[in-house]
Amino acid sequence: MLKWSMLVLGALSAVMVVLPLVVTSHFALDIFIRILLFSFIGVAWNLVGGYAKQLSLGHVAFFGLGAYTSTIMQIDFGISPWIGMVAGGVIAMVGSLPIGWLCFRLRGPYFTIATIATAQVLMLIFLKFRNFAWGAEGTTIPNLGHAPLMMQFETKPPYYYIVLGLLALSLLITWVIERSRMGYYLVAIGEDEDAAEAVGIDAPRVKRNIYMLSAFLTGLAGTFYTQYIYFIDPGTAFNFNISVEAALVSIVGGIGTLWGPVIGTLLLETTSALLQSWLGNSGGVQVTVYSLILMAVILWRPTGIMGFLVEFYGRRARKPVRA
Amino acid sequence: MLEILAQAVINGLLIGGIYALVSIGVTLIFGVVKIVNFAQGEFVMIGMYISFFLATQFGIDPVVSLIVSMPALFIIGVLVQHFLIRRVLGLNDMPQIFLTFALSLLILNVSLMLFTANYRTVHTWYSDEAFHIGPLYVPVAKLIAFVLAMVFSGILWLFLHATDLGKAMRAAAQNRDVAQLMGINPDRVFAVAFGVALALAGAAGSLLMPFYPAYPMVGQVFVLMAFVAVVLGSLGNVIGALVASLMMGVAESLGIQFIGADSGLIVVFMLLLTTLALRPSGLGGRRTR
Repeated sequence: MLKWSMLVLGALSAVMVVLPLVVTSHFALDIFIRILLFSFIGVAWNLVGGYAKQLSLGHVAFFGLGAYTSTIMQIDFGISPWIGMVAGGVIAMVGSLPIGWLCFRLRGPYFTIATIATAQVLMLIFLKFRNFAWGAEGTTIPNLGHAPLMMQFETKPPYYYIVLGLLALSLLITWVIERSRMGYYLVAIGEDEDAAEAVGIDAPRVKRNIYMLSAFLTGLAGTFYTQYIYFIDPGTAFNFNISVEAALVSIVGGIGTLWGPVIGTLLLETTSALLQSWLGNSGGVQVTVYSLILMAVILWRPTGIMGFLVEFYGRRARKPVRA
Repeated sequence: MLEILAQAVINGLLIGGIYALVSIGVTLIFGVVKIVNFAQGEFVMIGMYISFFLATQFGIDPVVSLIVSMPALFIIGVLVQHFLIRRVLGLNDMPQIFLTFALSLLILNVSLMLFTANYRTVHTWYSDEAFHIGPLYVPVAKLIAFVLAMVFSGILWLFLHATDLGKAMRAAAQNRDVAQLMGINPDRVFAVAFGVALALAGAAGSLLMPFYPAYPMVGQVFVLMAFVAVVLGSLGNVIGALVASLMMGVAESLGIQFIGADSGLIVVFMLLLTTLALRPSGLGGRRTR
């Protein structure tokens, strides 16, 4: 069984690595990059929202902090976004401490509301302070042409590989955590926090640590996105839809599972790309379909697509045993 | 200076009345059904569009169109409770939070497709009128909205305390199982709670229409205000939500007056976050367990 899954994983990785050599269409590569990026953000969200069931709708706070940190370092101090990306992750991680300190006082829906509020406050702060970070107008990233050391490329494949690497990193981290003591603590907290504390798990500490890790990864995504679109303003860097999509892809794909966010993003982003090519960029259609899919998952299959797959293959795998 | 302050307080109180209608709905649903309705703002928006179309198609005054928007939203509320909410009761947080959240996204984006993002306004004969009291002025449209909001809140309070159905709702809010043993049908009580809460949102929408533009995203401001008010006023408490809403209206208005036009929301969020920081027990967040 393990051998088979290793084979599948190996084949999948090989396909992902050679994909940009085969597919050269800018449009298709752009969609792949979006899928990889949102998978990555979803995997980061899933650590907190999926395993520990702390349903954050404010993860864009860390995305925005990462994006602004690297951009400020690059434009004001000429520091490469490669360094800025790590710095952005660290800033997001540090930012997660006060945010978590506030929000983790609450549970259930009120935690969710508090995370929305903190992300909104951050956006409003960046909108207000124009002498600090360009205010509402935002800024474009100076285009240096082909400058790998400044994370700028004239073609799309390098971006593809960067975000593929980030996704692989986040999946590896999740895989390790799933198998560690930490992973079991998270699931225990997600199932029943009071019971977890009763058996001696330091829930506040576990939640703080996983929140920091999740924030760090989400911060990296912020830097990458800004470098990819060459533009930043509070509306894009702290866009509420990013928080929503991070949660959505995980829930649709399979909350609290390793591959759930990736599968969810594949489904949602492919649907969205198809809709856009059929109907053009008309406002509302994409999220309407997202919300219908989300409702369907909640009402009929709260374990998401992964839950469905596991059940389906589980049933098929059991059959020979019975016969 | 004192006049500016007094004027800001008046403006805040008047809009706070509208916030109260929205947050009383949220707190009623939370108290009785134990669900946080993320879509409450979208129902305010539906109320606004109902009044907008009645005003533009048939020339009906938005305040008069309350008699359409409130029953319409009551029915929508009963249907939402029956076909959607009922199915996730008793499940864990994820379905409970994300079902109403998905509903909110759905209504918002369908409205975006149907009505576009354009602002729609209704101009009534009293939209620009105001009473002058010395140096202060009180806009008529906002005063009507405030007075009716207080009347509806009062009626709801009487309903909850003086009628059998209202008492049944409060009983179900306190202890669902015991209430059921006393012969209260929880499904019916939940449906009424949802219907009443949405009717209040519809009333808020109609009352806003003479002085506030309707657009698909309009509900988001109101629902955020309502969440803050509901947390501040202790969950499930109608009077608490009312008082907190009025306070937040004033806080927002003072923020706009003394910090800057777009600072109202910052002040309100800061109020929320400070409260959370100062009252670590989480203001009843634990009650969701």
